[in-house]
Amino acid sequence: MGLIVKTTARVTIPLIGIFGSYIVMHGHLTPGGGFQGGATIAGAGILFLIAFGLGEMKKRYNKNLYSALEGLGGLAFLGVAMLGMSVAFFYNTLWHNGPVLNGKPGTLLSAGFLPIMNLAVGLKVFTGLVSALTAIALWRRWKG
Amino acid sequence: MKRTIAYLSLLFILGALLYIANPNYGLKFGLGGNNWLKYRYTDNYYIEHGVEEVGGMNIVTDIVFDYRGYDTIGEATVLFTAIAGAVALLRPWRGDGE
Repeated sequence: MGLIVKTTARVTIPLIGIFGSYIVMHGHLTPGGGFQGGATIAGAGILFLIAFGLGEMKKRYNKNLYSALEGLGGLAFLGVAMLGMSVAFFYNTLWHNGPVLNGKPGTLLSAGFLPIMNLAVGLKVFTGLVSALTAIALWRRWKG
Repeated sequence: MKRTIAYLSLLFILGALLYIANPNYGLKFGLGGNNWLKYRYTDNYYIEHGVEEVGGMNIVTDIVFDYRGYDTIGEATVLFTAIAGAVALLRPWRGDGE
């Protein structure tokens, strides 16, 4: 892409990333959450891919790291869900009698495992969409 | 011939769905008043007890991650499988150069 597009992307990619992180972090207070915020951050990654091209993306993108992070997001989700296993699966033990994340409803550190789950799902969606789009961009055979 | 039957059955299904969606016989839209507690008592429960039981101000997140967390696990699994399938199918073929 041209110089204007590259400069604009340089400015907007951090803003999109910050906004997506805001959506993920405030998933239990405002509309949005892990899936929506993760897709927003993945939009920043795709903007990077389109504005700077596949060559630049190949240097920055590490397939193994992104696959590992996607698996890690899913595992964090499951692990947090199992925290209250002594009562039931998905028992919100952090909210009912946990040491952290049990503040007043409406504050950032409230709602038990919901913020952790939002972070895990956001990480999973972001890395998954970026690796899928990079795999599609790397596929370059138009004729069989 | 087969295609005609297919289109006719599509037309029949559409008519049946339109019949069901008629407020005089089936589904009702814009529920309010007594109908709200009669048909949407589950939603009412979530709205009334969500904040104290789960702690999040966002009722949708409360439902999706706490009350119905299994659903979200399934959704995450679907996403994981879709990404894994796409990446696996889009790998370069053996002996493709590179």
